[in-house]
Amino acid sequence: MKKNNTEIKTYEPDNAIKQGYFSLFKVIFLELKQNRWLIYQLFKRDFLAIYKQSFIGILWAIIIPLISIGTFILLNRSGIFNLGRLDVPYPIFAVLGMATWQLFAAGLIAGSNSLVKAGSMIVKINFSKKSLVIASLGQSLISFLIQFFLAGILFLYYGYSPSAAILLFPILILPVLLLTLGCGFILSILNGIMRDIGNIIAIFMTFFMFLTPVLYSKPTSGILAHITRYNPLFYLVSVPRDLILTGHSAEWQGFWISVTISFFVFIFCLYVFHLAETRVTERI
Amino acid sequence: MDENIAVKLDKVSKKYCKSLKRSMFYGIIDISRNILGLSSRPGKLRKNEFWAVKNVSFELKKGEVLGVIGPNGSGKTTLLKMLNGIFWPDKGKISINGRVGALIEVGAGFHPMLTGRENIYVNGAILNMSKDEINRKFAEIVKFADIGDFIDMPVKHYSSGMFVRLGFAIAVHCEPDILLIDEILAVGDSGFQSKCFNKIGELKQKGTTTVLVSHNMHMISVFSDRAIVLKNGRAEYFNNTNEGVREYTKFFISTKESAVEKILNGNDAIVFFNVKINKREFLPGESFQAALQFRSSVDYEEVEIDVGIYTNNDPNLYFQATNKAYGKKVSLLKGEHELQVTIKNIPVNNAMAKVAISIWQKNRTAKLFWWRIPVEFKGIDYSMGKNFLDVEYVFK
Repeated sequence: MKKNNTEIKTYEPDNAIKQGYFSLFKVIFLELKQNRWLIYQLFKRDFLAIYKQSFIGILWAIIIPLISIGTFILLNRSGIFNLGRLDVPYPIFAVLGMATWQLFAAGLIAGSNSLVKAGSMIVKINFSKKSLVIASLGQSLISFLIQFFLAGILFLYYGYSPSAAILLFPILILPVLLLTLGCGFILSILNGIMRDIGNIIAIFMTFFMFLTPVLYSKPTSGILAHITRYNPLFYLVSVPRDLILTGHSAEWQGFWISVTISFFVFIFCLYVFHLAETRVTERI
Repeated sequence: MDENIAVKLDKVSKKYCKSLKRSMFYGIIDISRNILGLSSRPGKLRKNEFWAVKNVSFELKKGEVLGVIGPNGSGKTTLLKMLNGIFWPDKGKISINGRVGALIEVGAGFHPMLTGRENIYVNGAILNMSKDEINRKFAEIVKFADIGDFIDMPVKHYSSGMFVRLGFAIAVHCEPDILLIDEILAVGDSGFQSKCFNKIGELKQKGTTTVLVSHNMHMISVFSDRAIVLKNGRAEYFNNTNEGVREYTKFFISTKESAVEKILNGNDAIVFFNVKINKREFLPGESFQAALQFRSSVDYEEVEIDVGIYTNNDPNLYFQATNKAYGKKVSLLKGEHELQVTIKNIPVNNAMAKVAISIWQKNRTAKLFWWRIPVEFKGIDYSMGKNFLDVEYVFK
C-alpha cells in the first residue's frame, strides 16, 4: 500500500557527486515524474491564492500587456519611436510578441522568487523543490494562453488569417519554456542565497524588453541591430510569430542556435539546482 | 542495512555559520565546487563556523520510540531536520528506511486564502501523499480535525486551534513509517491532545518508528523506549529513558558547589567540633539527619534552630522552619554533648538541593552555627514533579 517502502534513502555530504553525472539525471527524472501531481497542486495553490481576492481576477493577465502595447502605439503615433515596417496589423504583431515575451519575463521573475517565497515551508517540510520552481511557471503559462486567445480575437477583428503554423504554436514556444525554466532554476538558487538577485531581475526585465524586438520590428542598423543579432530571445519570440503571421521566417539559423542554447541551459541549470537545493534550504 | 532498522545515523555532524554574509559566501563556494565535481570539503570548519550537531550515532528499530532531550540550542531541531532530509549532514551518514512524516509546526504549508478543503489537497501533496490516498482519507482527516462545516472557509479565518488541528490531522494521516515529533502537543485543547496521543499510540502499534523531541520530561519518560541527551550538539545515549531524564535535569545544577559550606562553627564559648551527616544522596521519602557534637563552656538556653531545604528546580525556598514551629524547646548545656537534627521523610523528587542548618542564641542575638550541605535527591522512575508522594492503588 505504501510506496517507497523498500527504498532506503541515504543522506551524506557530497552525496550527489559520489553518485556520478548520469545516475543523477535519472534521479532528477524520477523525482519530476513522481511529483507531477504535486506540481499541479502547487500551481493550483498559487493560482487560487492570487485571484481569490481580486474582482477582475484572471483578466489582469490581459490588462498589463495591453498597457505596454498601448504605450508603443502612442509613441509611434506621436513620432517619438519608430516601430519599423510591418506588413500586418500592429496590435496582432504586438500581442503575439508580448504573449511569448511575458511567458519568459513573468516566468523568470516568478521562478526566481519561488524558493524565497516558499521559504518558511521549505525549511519545515521536505518536498520536491524542483516542483516549486516548475509550478511557479504555471502562472505565466495561463497569462500566455489568455493573450493567445486575445490574439485570436484580433485576427477575427482585422480579418487577417494566420498561417497553419498557428497549430504548432504550443511546440514553437517550448524552447522559451525550457530557457525560462532553466534560468528560473538557477536564479531561484542565487536569490535564495543573495536577495539582491530578485531585485536585479525585476529591474533588468523591463530594460531587456526594450532591447528585444518584441513590440517593434527587427532594427536594421545601429547598436540595437547589433544586440539583436546575439539575443536568443529575439529568435525565440520572432520566429514563431513570423511563422504564424506569414508562414515563413528569415531567421532559422539563429532560431536553431537559440533552441540549442535553451536546451543546454535547461539541462545545466537543472543539474546545478539538484546539487544546490539542500544547501540553499539552509540559507534561505 | 538490516531489514528491521528504520533509522541509522553514523557519526552525523552538521555545521552552521555564525555570520550571514559569510554563510552566503560559503554557500556559493560549496555549490561551485560541487558543480565542478569537487568535494565541498564539508568536514572542515572554516572561519565563523561551528558544529551544531557533532558525531551523533544511533540505530532505531522499527516501532521504537526515541526521546531527544536537551537544553535550548543543543541541536535537537537540527537533528530532526536532518532526519527529515531538509538539511544534509556535513559529516557522517544517515540512512532512512521508509516514508518520513513530521509533526513539526504542522500547517506550515497552508495558504491562508485557500479553504480547508483546498489546503488538505495541497498540503497532502506536499507531504508526499498521492491523489487517491487523499481522496480515500479525506473524510477521516476532516473528522479527526473536527472542523465540520468550516472545511469550506478560508483557513485565515480559522481559530489557531482549528488551524493546528487540521495541520495535525493531515500530517498523521500520511501514515509515515518514521514519525518525527517536535514539541507538538503544546497546542490544541486537552481533548484534542488526548486524541493525538491515541493516534500516535496507534501508529506505534503499527510499527511506526518515532523520534520525539520535547521539553516535557513526562512525555519523554512515558513514551520513549530510549533517550538521547544533547548538549552543545553532542549526544549521550541512554537505554533507560529515566536515566536520560535525570541526566538532563542535572544540566541545570551547578555541581561546583558540592562542597559543604561550613560558614560558622561556633564562637569563644561553644565549638561544634564534629558534624556527622547520615548521607548525601537520598531517595524521595528518606530522612536527613545531622549529628552535631559540640563543647561548650556556658549554657545556651532555648536556642533557635533553623532548618531549610533549597532545591534547584524551585526558585523559592522549598522548606524552612525553626524548632518553635514544632513547639520544641532545645537548650545546649555546658560540656560535651551531641545535638541531633532530623528532617523526616523528605519527599523531594529528582533535584539537587542544599540543606541549611543554623543555630541562634535565644532571641536571635547571636548566631552560633551555620552550615549548608549540598545533597542530591534521586528521581523515581516514571514520576515527574518536584515531590514524590505516596499513592495507594486499591482494586475492589
